[in-house]
Amino acid sequence: MSITSPFSDADGQIIELLLQNGLDKRRGEDALFTRYDYFIREGMSKLGLSEDESFNAYSDSVLAAIEKISNGTFEGRSSLKTYLYQIFHNKCVDLLRKNSTNKSSIHRTDSISERLLHITDKARSAVQVLIDKADWKLLKEKLTQLGDDCRKMLMLWADNFSDRQIAAEMEYKTSDVVKTSRLRCLEKLKRLYKTV
Amino acid sequence: MDSLEYIDAYFSGETPQEETRQFEQRIQDDPAFAEEVAFYLTAREASKEELVEERKRDFRALYRRADAVAKFRPALIRRLLPAVAAAALISAIALCWYLFAGPKTGPKLADRYIQENLQLLSVKMGAMDSLQMGLVLFNDGKFIEALQEFEKIIQSDSSNSTAVKDAGITSLRLEDYDRALYFFRNLEIRNHLHLNPGLFYEALTLMKRNFNGDAAQAKHLLQEVIQRNLDKKEDAVELLKKM
Repeated sequence: MSITSPFSDADGQIIELLLQNGLDKRRGEDALFTRYDYFIREGMSKLGLSEDESFNAYSDSVLAAIEKISNGTFEGRSSLKTYLYQIFHNKCVDLLRKNSTNKSSIHRTDSISERLLHITDKARSAVQVLIDKADWKLLKEKLTQLGDDCRKMLMLWADNFSDRQIAAEMEYKTSDVVKTSRLRCLEKLKRLYKTV
Repeated sequence: MDSLEYIDAYFSGETPQEETRQFEQRIQDDPAFAEEVAFYLTAREASKEELVEERKRDFRALYRRADAVAKFRPALIRRLLPAVAAAALISAIALCWYLFAGPKTGPKLADRYIQENLQLLSVKMGAMDSLQMGLVLFNDGKFIEALQEFEKIIQSDSSNSTAVKDAGITSLRLEDYDRALYFFRNLEIRNHLHLNPGLFYEALTLMKRNFNGDAAQAKHLLQEVIQRNLDKKEDAVELLKKM
């Protein structure tokens, strides 16, 4: 029995790029976005969303797909188009049902919970209470004041880049230099955030 | 050890197993330390959200460019026809002067290249589909109508790289450089193509446009075409020699 790939050549190339780092990954992200951007019009014509709503649903879908492909959890059981459309459709339905109220904070909690998974319940709830009290708006504002290098470094770190990968991406000599600089950036952010 | 470094080591999985319990106990016993852990996790998540917002801004710019092309309506083209015809006549006169008496610059080299290589596009014999129709219109000098044909194809099938390339060349002939650059950059990111002249044509368009910094950027792109052994490498070598 022959096994055929569900991917077209173009989709295969996009997936290959998304598994790289740096400029190649960026090209893959742009290519994935532009390849199926007609979904935005479909969200407007078939589901009655506004252009802005449909664009947001599509962008979020593309970013979710990129994350799954990049971290290797996309199993490839369906074509890239079908996979992306499923995510997009679900996001549109969520929007229509108004189920997405305060969606980002739900996602935020889920994401942080993953990191706290291995901590005991007591310690976890102590940290969770403090996280819930954080002033996210202020923190993001301070992040923009850090300077381009620090900001980029922290964003790459948050995107699960290892220090070695950050060193390659930002042309630092070693991963140790990156680690030191990254922790200095965090320290600087903390100072800016706490001194308000 | 500094708190953030200690916390970073824990969440990076570098803390020895026997010390993890100590770490967790400290969260419960030391409020200042718990706050440091909360800050570490919050900062990471805020950075992730910033990254997502930045990518969404990039996507919006990509979408706007694509949308602008899609909204390029035939009525607008018809309205612009007399102006374009007049501009073409003036351009032809200017071009003659430019080719024979003008200075030897990037635009002149680009004009020569266009004269020699992009006057006629190859049409296949046999069935006349939309692409072939566009090519015939191009070869008849009906650039606006040709561009309409190519854009119709792209709207129904954005993966048609030939139509994207031809739309770029047609835009270049119409001296609509921003539109030409949009098509060639769109072509350039299609890494699956065996032969992809996107980068070379982007350089050619910059040479022709000749805005401040265009010449240097064109030179850089031509060097990249040669280094990466891309389509039109030989042409890039020739142009670079003359620049």
